[in-house]
Amino acid sequence: MSNSLMKIEKVKAYYMLKDRYVKAVDNISFEINENEVIGVVGESGCGKSTLSNVLMMNIIKPLALIDGKILFKTNGSYKEISSLSREEVRKDFWGKKMALIPQAAMNALMPTIKIEKYVEHLADAHNIPKDKFLKKAKERFEKVDLDPKWLKRFPFELSGGMKQRAVIAIATLLDPDLLIADEPTSALDVVNQKMFLKILMEMKKQGIVKSIIFVTHDIATIRQIADRMLVMYAGKIMEISPIDKIVEKPLNPYTQGLLNSVLTPEPEIKKRGITTIPGAPPNLIDPPKGCRFHPRCPHAMDICKEKEPELKEVEPGRKVACFLYSEERS
Amino acid sequence: MISKQMWKYIFRKLIFLIITYIIATTIVFLLPRIIPGNPLSQMLASLSQVAQANPEAIRAAEKNLMEEFGFGKPWYVQYFEFVSNALRGNLGTSVAYYPRKVLDLIIPVLPWTLLLLLPATIVAWFLGNSLGAWAGFRRNTWIDKGVLTTSLIVSQIPYYWLGMILIYFFGVRLGILPVGGAYTQGNFPSFSWNFFVDVLKHYILPFSSIVISAMGGWAIGMRLMVIYELGNDYVRFSEALGMKDKRIYKYVFRNSMLPQITGLALSLGGALGGALITEIVFNYPGTGFLLFKALTTLDYPLIQGVFVILIASIYLANFIVDFIYALIDPRIRLGQEE
Repeated sequence: MSNSLMKIEKVKAYYMLKDRYVKAVDNISFEINENEVIGVVGESGCGKSTLSNVLMMNIIKPLALIDGKILFKTNGSYKEISSLSREEVRKDFWGKKMALIPQAAMNALMPTIKIEKYVEHLADAHNIPKDKFLKKAKERFEKVDLDPKWLKRFPFELSGGMKQRAVIAIATLLDPDLLIADEPTSALDVVNQKMFLKILMEMKKQGIVKSIIFVTHDIATIRQIADRMLVMYAGKIMEISPIDKIVEKPLNPYTQGLLNSVLTPEPEIKKRGITTIPGAPPNLIDPPKGCRFHPRCPHAMDICKEKEPELKEVEPGRKVACFLYSEERS
Repeated sequence: MISKQMWKYIFRKLIFLIITYIIATTIVFLLPRIIPGNPLSQMLASLSQVAQANPEAIRAAEKNLMEEFGFGKPWYVQYFEFVSNALRGNLGTSVAYYPRKVLDLIIPVLPWTLLLLLPATIVAWFLGNSLGAWAGFRRNTWIDKGVLTTSLIVSQIPYYWLGMILIYFFGVRLGILPVGGAYTQGNFPSFSWNFFVDVLKHYILPFSSIVISAMGGWAIGMRLMVIYELGNDYVRFSEALGMKDKRIYKYVFRNSMLPQITGLALSLGGALGGALITEIVFNYPGTGFLLFKALTTLDYPLIQGVFVILIASIYLANFIVDFIYALIDPRIRLGQEE
């Protein structure tokens, strides 16, 4: 038995429009190991938010799962959640096995009832005795550095950072194995961001959550917390690799461009200076033939325009989709 | 239990209400006086027939009347007399119904208006919002499309035209409901079963005309609010935590209702104007009908009197709504502190 919590195999998820489809997640395979943080990065519109929806099987029209398998480990065996309906996954997995911290987590709490009441409703939804669950909520609030007295308040009485911490506390109340954080820090100032990341890591360290998927376009944040980085471009995985290696020596030209366009205090990046990637991401209704990055790629070869590169292991633990690292180039 | 903040909130609202009430009544005092014409002319005209056209006598009568109503005095003197009299519960004497007191004219008709206006507005609000929420939760289904289209059409129908259609169809063609009035002529108000049924029969048409025409607007607004709220982060978060749809709908309904409650308070005021025409169409003996009479005869004291009472009742309704709003939305109640 491998130690992966989730296996994603050749998943295709498209937005079905009237006569065409948007290939937001196109033939993606990777594994989420137990006890790791994966940072998913990419430009806006590269499909990273769609990916987080697909992982949860939160598939609502016009999004449709076209092909592929999603396996989730529960009680020692893998369950194929991609064969279940959204409602079934919602009933058996959401909250309990996998939880979500949405974008703009500050507004994630029901605004017109007290937080305590919300926790009670949550207990109700999962048939847990209310007093027991409230006690747990109090402990969890202390863990995220919030006085449990705030449970008796309304969300709008808390500051932005406090709300964010309350959201983590509530999202992890049912001890989910997987926590998906979809750009949760974009609305926070740096101090609160730091605090948020610290708490997130603390949750993992204490084994409250096993693995975390952190979706963001903020590479500096990923650098601080992730074990592996997954780079997406136009619905495809370009590179997936341990964070140190990818920062030290990005392989895929897109990853190189992405890292070069970020200002970070790391000496190895500082040396390179800042550059931008020319051009704009492609339209996902009609993506370019071959490698989707080839029109913007400085190293584009003939084969890149014809064939799609596969995601291949080039070093132990490092996978890249690029013909530069394949014998197939001609 | 009413908290300290709640008392503070109520106190603020009361002060605000008193100030706006003073402003509103002042405007009501001034506006009719801007309309050109002499309120006594009609009265003098009828007097002249009785008094065999004796110019001396008529001039004397006009002088007396001017003295009695105080119309000859400067407007600010009139205003302070009006206020000080009003505070003592005296709204003056009607010109058109001379020598009857304004208050005696209003009190018997006021219940009819309130009886028509308040339930119709509230029922329209309630039905419209339920319908809108129902459609919103089933966005893009045929239910939603049906409700939206019907609401759009119905909300554009003028209520008086709808009233006339209803009268024509149910009153004239089918003849099953009376065409106007609040009760059958000659049937004196009493607390008997017969009178109750009679009133109810007269009530159905004006009531339905207000409810039907007001409902559509509420439904459209509520549908939009629900759809907007459904896209909020708390909905996604609650779903992802495994909350049931029923609970999430309750949250969404609650939050969508808040602006609709403010809307209700406003529409109670707006319904006043609508009631005037509805009452004329249905020949319904309410304040609107009385006001119509007062306006056409330029009966200053009666116009003032009707408005003073009506504004007071609308404000009272507003105050109650504000109070309910604060109970439901903690942000209003507690937000005052910050």
